[in-house]
Amino acid sequence: MLQRVLGHEWRALGSDATTWVVIAIFAVAIAYGTWNGSRWVRFQQGALAAAHAEEQERYDRLASQIAEVSAGAAVSPFADPRSPANVGGRLGPRYAALPPAPLAALAIGQSDLLPYYFKVTTDARENIVSATEIENPQRLLVGRFDLAFVLIYLYPLLILAVTYNMISAEKEQGTLALVLAQPVSLATIVLGKVMVRAGLLVGVVVVCAVGALLLTGTSLAAPGAAARLVLWGAAVAAYGTFWFSLAVWMSSLGRTSAATATLLASAWLVLVVLLPSLFNLVVTVAYPVPSRVEMVQATRVASDEANAAGSQLLAAYYEDHPELATGGAEQAMTDFNVIRVAVNDEVEKRVRPVIDRYDGQIRRQQEAIDRLRYISPAVLMQDALNDVAGTGVPRHQRFMAQVSAYHAAWRAYFTPLIFNKTRITDVRATPQFRFEDETAGTVVRRVTVALAGLAVPAVALVWLGLGRLRRYPVAG
Amino acid sequence: MVLRIARKEMTELLRDGRFRVLSAVVLAVSLMSLAAGWKQYADISRQHQAAQAATREQWVNQPKKNPHSAAHYGVYAFKPKSQLAIVDTGIDPYMGVAVWLEAHKQNEFKYRPAQDRTAVQRFGEMTAAEVLQVLLPLFVVLMTFSAFSGEREQGTLRQVLSLGVSRRDLALGKALGTAVALGLVLVPATLVGVAAIALTSTGGYLAGDPTRAVVLAAVYLGYFVLFIAISLAVSAWARSSRLALVLLLTFWFGNALVASRAMADLAGWWHPTPSAVEFQKAMEADLSNQQEVQERIEKRKQELFVQHGVDSVDALPIAFSGVSLQEGEEHGNEVFDRHYGRLFDIYGRQDGLLQLGGFVAPTLAVRSISMALAGTDLAQHLDFIKAAEAYRRGIQRVLNHDIVVNQKKGQTYLAGPELWNQVPDFTYEAPSTAWVLHNVQVPLAILVGWLVLACVGLSRSARTARVE
Repeated sequence: MLQRVLGHEWRALGSDATTWVVIAIFAVAIAYGTWNGSRWVRFQQGALAAAHAEEQERYDRLASQIAEVSAGAAVSPFADPRSPANVGGRLGPRYAALPPAPLAALAIGQSDLLPYYFKVTTDARENIVSATEIENPQRLLVGRFDLAFVLIYLYPLLILAVTYNMISAEKEQGTLALVLAQPVSLATIVLGKVMVRAGLLVGVVVVCAVGALLLTGTSLAAPGAAARLVLWGAAVAAYGTFWFSLAVWMSSLGRTSAATATLLASAWLVLVVLLPSLFNLVVTVAYPVPSRVEMVQATRVASDEANAAGSQLLAAYYEDHPELATGGAEQAMTDFNVIRVAVNDEVEKRVRPVIDRYDGQIRRQQEAIDRLRYISPAVLMQDALNDVAGTGVPRHQRFMAQVSAYHAAWRAYFTPLIFNKTRITDVRATPQFRFEDETAGTVVRRVTVALAGLAVPAVALVWLGLGRLRRYPVAG
Repeated sequence: MVLRIARKEMTELLRDGRFRVLSAVVLAVSLMSLAAGWKQYADISRQHQAAQAATREQWVNQPKKNPHSAAHYGVYAFKPKSQLAIVDTGIDPYMGVAVWLEAHKQNEFKYRPAQDRTAVQRFGEMTAAEVLQVLLPLFVVLMTFSAFSGEREQGTLRQVLSLGVSRRDLALGKALGTAVALGLVLVPATLVGVAAIALTSTGGYLAGDPTRAVVLAAVYLGYFVLFIAISLAVSAWARSSRLALVLLLTFWFGNALVASRAMADLAGWWHPTPSAVEFQKAMEADLSNQQEVQERIEKRKQELFVQHGVDSVDALPIAFSGVSLQEGEEHGNEVFDRHYGRLFDIYGRQDGLLQLGGFVAPTLAVRSISMALAGTDLAQHLDFIKAAEAYRRGIQRVLNHDIVVNQKKGQTYLAGPELWNQVPDFTYEAPSTAWVLHNVQVPLAILVGWLVLACVGLSRSARTARVE
């Protein structure tokens, strides 16, 4: 019987011209969003390639300069390519880069806002990680037309548009009573209607998005791509299921088509538009992050004081690191570069609590959102899509942690060289950064939690709806 | 007759449960957003004022040192918060707040506040402006889509018209009634907003300029009239209430959510910005062009030789190192002007395209105008960037000139507080309202065009509305 309902629904839906208009608009939006996402990925890859090329070029130049100077060419101490202070600072910085994940084109997420490469030097960490990609702030404000936008905003609207009158229209046309005179339950009919519509919409999403991905040159054979694609499909299905369930439940209330439409549109407005921005408002008021100007000032005060105390700091530093006080420590006390190491160290130590305060507030905001998000499927979907695409906050935090570790390693590499006044002969031996990506398991675990948040209310709504359908006022 | 129709329309709306619920929601949301905006403004502007005072203090309290060391020490400039940002934060969250003004370098503004927020921020900031631009039009649509079509479906339209009521009066009356009912929601919200702004008027910038707030209010008023007119026009034209609703909701969705993104994409596509790494590389290549710097210095040297009638640097009565430092600065300034000029030019073009987006979506026009009047648009941020850079160049000139005059050969020259105090404190004068209005003349014209079009549309569709 279900099969017959499915067949009939398919024919009825297919013969309606508006269905195809809606599908066509949807398909174009999906393809455009995906194309737009891959354009951004290509831009990022281009920037990272340019960074890599710049580094290579600089290192080649540095190597030949070192050879020249070693052969006896004259050079001022400020530009000496063999000086570890110069190489670790101005001359030899390397890039720490966050390459786009295999399916980054699926959601631009936070990747246009959060920096994805840094030039790492022996300078204080905060000066390094404050770099950003160039972007018109106005474009950051409005956001991009990417696939995630289409899926979060438009996809539920279309689901509601094809489902709001699936029962009430039959009732209003008088066909519902006729159909139910056959040996078929209302639940079976609703199930058939939903399955056809869900199959159609999800099919369009998957086919168009995957097609656009392949056409724009995204490789699905990249490691982790297949798993991420499956997760993405699951997210599309789960989000769709939530909205279909909502439509089933609202339809089961037995109101007119117009009333159901108004209710569903209001639900969309509240869940997709209002609640997320309210959450943002609530967490920013509850856990305000002070303007970074306070951090700038704290850093400045700390470095002024540390600079003033320069040589005393160095003495203290030697006490902590006796292994560095080899040989001419006396003379080293007057060395500008050596003092700088100690000063930088001190500044970082003193600014740490200030930065921790910022990080703490941001963490509290995130924790609050992580709890609140279960009220809004749109926020859950955003998290799931960003995670799948690798453009969300968690992957970026992982990158930042690795950048911090790399910065520490960079400094640890140069500090003894500076103290021992070693001349650098092989500049290519400086440490390099390589991003260790999240394992598929981590991503799956995180996305699954979000998807469960979508599935649980969906199941509840269907359950409630089916219960109600049994008492549906078929006539009158 | 118009008034009578308006009263009927208003009474009907006020008695409608949906109207009460929706207006309660709109009012609550706008009050919340105003309160949050006010708190944020108060916090941030206090922090920025304190920081600006502190950076000045550090500058004037520098110990004795060579002027060029002081130039390297530099000062910070912090973007002051505009008072109307309480209503419209504009691009503030996405624009860096601090810039370090040091020797030889025009630095970028750093620390975009949005980077310190969660991803939910990207759903949009709930500011009063957002409520006015996005939620209120929807409210208008939901309240008016059936104004004509509903009466037609109930058969009352025929009765009303048979009384000899002119269709023009009917349309006008309905528009007026809706506007007054909406006004009952909007006026208290506006009053609270004005009170919030008045309460914070501790001399924040834009504080002494009520014109901006007045023009802003007028623009929003025009915007609502526009939506009421469009909504009524569609209601009169559409065959059924359902069709009217679908058309209006589609328009709202495209207007509020799609158009801005599509236009921003288009802007980025037509006028692409370089990546930071490419930008830096090109700029550094120009900066390190030693030949150009040397030529400049040589030219200046010859000029000075002629001027002082000598033929060697040692014979000059001034310190040439100060001259060559300043020439280095001048060379750098040319490079910065060229590169940042090009970048800001691209931003400007992108912005212009977004303004033109008003042709397809009036919300884009209103957004541009609103941000501009609130002092939170791109043009005013760029103006601040330029002011900070001009200040930086001024510092370098003062310090280098001091070296020229006071540094003596073979001596270590140390300057003191007299010199630090010669550098004036950084004060930023916000651009005049006239300048701002000049910037947004295109969206203003577009908005007026929409308004005229919508009114003409309403009068036409009211005149030709089917009775059955």
